[in-house]
Amino acid sequence: MNGTVGGTVGGTVGGRVLREDAWGKVLGQAAFPADVRREGQIYAVAVRSPHAHARIRGLKLDEARKAEGVVAVLTSADVPHNGHGVLYRDQPVLVQDHVRMAGDPVVLVGAETLAEARTAAGLVEVDYEVLPGLFDPEEAMKEGVPALHPEIHGSTNIVYHLPVCKGNVAKGWAEAEVTVERDYQTQMLDHAFLQPEAVLAYVDERGHLVVEVATQYAHYDRGEIAHALGLKFNQVRVKTVSVGGAFGGREDISLQIMAALMAWRTLRPVKMENTREESFHSHSKRHPMRMHYKTGATRAGKLTVLEARIVGDAGAYASWSPNILRKAAIHATGPYEIPNVRVDAYAVLTNNPYTGAMRGFGAAQPVLAYESQMDLLARELGLSPMELRLRNICRVGSETATGQVLTGSVGMEECLKAVKSYLGEVSAR
Amino acid sequence: MKIELTVNGVARILEVEPEERLLDVLRERLHLTGTKEGCGEGECGACTVIMDGKTVNSCMVLAAQADGHAVTTIEGLGNRGSLHPVQKAFLEEGAVQCGFCTPGMVLSAKALLDRSPHPGKEQIAVAMSGNLCRCTGYDKILRAVERAAGEVKE
Amino acid sequence: MYYVRPETVAEVLEAGEKPGMLYLAGGTDLILKLRRQEVQARGLVDLQAVAELRRIRVEGDRLEIGAMVSFADLLNNDQVATEARALWLACRSMGAPQIRNQATLGGNLANCSPAADSLPALLVLQAQVRLLSHSGETLVPLAELLERTPLWPSGTLLAGFRLPLTGGASGFAKLGRRQALAIARLSAAVALREENGRASGVRLAFGAAGKRAFLSADLAEKLNGLVLDGGFTEVACREARKVISRALGERASAPYKREAVAGVVREALASVEFMKSGEGA
Repeated sequence: MNGTVGGTVGGTVGGRVLREDAWGKVLGQAAFPADVRREGQIYAVAVRSPHAHARIRGLKLDEARKAEGVVAVLTSADVPHNGHGVLYRDQPVLVQDHVRMAGDPVVLVGAETLAEARTAAGLVEVDYEVLPGLFDPEEAMKEGVPALHPEIHGSTNIVYHLPVCKGNVAKGWAEAEVTVERDYQTQMLDHAFLQPEAVLAYVDERGHLVVEVATQYAHYDRGEIAHALGLKFNQVRVKTVSVGGAFGGREDISLQIMAALMAWRTLRPVKMENTREESFHSHSKRHPMRMHYKTGATRAGKLTVLEARIVGDAGAYASWSPNILRKAAIHATGPYEIPNVRVDAYAVLTNNPYTGAMRGFGAAQPVLAYESQMDLLARELGLSPMELRLRNICRVGSETATGQVLTGSVGMEECLKAVKSYLGEVSAR
Repeated sequence: MKIELTVNGVARILEVEPEERLLDVLRERLHLTGTKEGCGEGECGACTVIMDGKTVNSCMVLAAQADGHAVTTIEGLGNRGSLHPVQKAFLEEGAVQCGFCTPGMVLSAKALLDRSPHPGKEQIAVAMSGNLCRCTGYDKILRAVERAAGEVKE
Repeated sequence: MYYVRPETVAEVLEAGEKPGMLYLAGGTDLILKLRRQEVQARGLVDLQAVAELRRIRVEGDRLEIGAMVSFADLLNNDQVATEARALWLACRSMGAPQIRNQATLGGNLANCSPAADSLPALLVLQAQVRLLSHSGETLVPLAELLERTPLWPSGTLLAGFRLPLTGGASGFAKLGRRQALAIARLSAAVALREENGRASGVRLAFGAAGKRAFLSADLAEKLNGLVLDGGFTEVACREARKVISRALGERASAPYKREAVAGVVREALASVEFMKSGEGA
């Protein structure tokens, strides 16, 4: 058995380098948050709402408090500043009275062992008044529909609207000889990173709160933990241990504040580990988007106009929704030059699981719409899908829908030509 | 209840609960945290260990069932000074990203090569099919197994 | 909960008689059900140490498979690969290597999921099930057993399966969401012989198309005696649609499975050794 492994081969650029953290990973030594432990640690388990929309009428905690091994049972009353969020602090650490999605944490139970914490969590009784849920973003954005976050987002569920306007749409329609108008819809997705969320939180010998977590965003986590607990930044230290996949799903707060709160209240090290099922409940999802597209072109195969309406389902909390729908709007025309454009992108709050960052960050969903439109237009025009694209792609000097003039590094034409031979004879379908 | 098993060549006598999983005993009692829990229901393979030469998902094996058997975890393979050929190949092929699936992947590959030192591509794909990776797209992992099998020359 | 691991059938039956005791085979289903509290047990009787339940052997003109034989053991057995092709193919499609190493044929029947991979194959292979209890051994055709609820009285031990070695050919195909690790959305097994260019002894069974796997007598009747040419497969696919339609009724999955069954049957027939060489094409 040869233990020597080659280091860098070749120069710095273009050389082969070994990933430094891979050593610990092939040996099973890399520490993910579930793998770290601390003397005297207790376990915390969140009691989550099974309802997507509800008012909490009351909590019965006595049985849980009396249960074997229980150290503390915490509620919203124990959270000094009960909100967190990357853009808006609209997501509660523990729900006080208004449940907005299934999986919202309501009560936090800490006990000597994980089994005791789970048993005690099962003894918590929450009296829910189940409310009708808003699950359809088109419905939720209508006027007169009850707003889910009146205090933070006002009287509407539209948390973001970005219009993108270029040229003169009426002129574009006047020039259009062929029109394709369709509706598209993408589904909600989970990142399903392989390592379920886990946290170890403790108060160190200096009296500072230390939170060991797999996160994409350690400095933000520190700020949100400090804010929620009413601490100064320098009293909180977030230590990023090995991250078992993230793909955008670890940009928001999941267990960090809950574990920190339990540690701060009990002065015991606190471990939280999600099961896979809890994991599905406690992080963001990819935005489902509904996209209405209307595209016009001349008989010669030049795009003249695009109108699009994109509605992204933000779920119960804003998270990154404004940024994601902004990106969807900016990318709504795809890599094509279109002189006249009107795009309206909306992020709408509903009682669905909240949506946030995921690979592509809003740029991925409109691809379905704008590329399908191109294929349909090609068919209308009797052109090959490749040819229609070549007649309309952005090149150096093109201006995007948002007015950006592309001055370099525009590889579309080169790319299309490079893949052409692999496509075979793809004609208008 | 008392169980006796061999873990990474060391005989262990442990007091366990009958409902305890092998995974929990390895991680919580023996602190062998290289074995990961990804799903808890046999879908992802992150908790793969080798029991009497065969891979099993340690989240679906009771510790009691392992009584009298020999278990190998990732900690039982190599160390920094002397890597197992599969570990070395994973390093050299860049088959590791987040690393959460890696211990299970390495053990599935080891079990394959132990019983079939020169597997074909198809055989490798089947042997690795119970281990999910969400980062890599599998290509480099499969190449690493081929490399470990001596199929891929420098 | 407590745990025992007897070594003889007699000890197993004695331990299994106590109230609240469950037999533990591989555990890939039972352990999850216990953890989810879908099943309660006071204790588990682990069958792993009973040597006679782990055997695969030929006895005269039949194949005897112990209940504790794992899917991996079946896959590695030449007799199964040649004489019980449908079962071998079903084993290959089940789970992942880790699961096949642990899961047993007996466990697959005892758990009796609608999608249990081995059951359609065992049905077309005319498996009989060996049940042991204090009152002795009984042999029940699987098709008959699958009509009983519960499958057997508590305390009964599923000891194994008896497959007649008829020399007939068989095949199996399964539709899953992905190749590995997928629970069957629909599966089909087929067994048949060729006699003077015509099909005889045709048996077709389906999985994941109703509460339990079932043999279709209608389909067998329609296909027996038909000339084994390209048209045979087409008739089989067409008739299978009707069978699945009836089996699923108004279920949400019915429109999908009604279409999909044609492909699954086509694949199952193509997996039969003598159909491969073009007769079915």
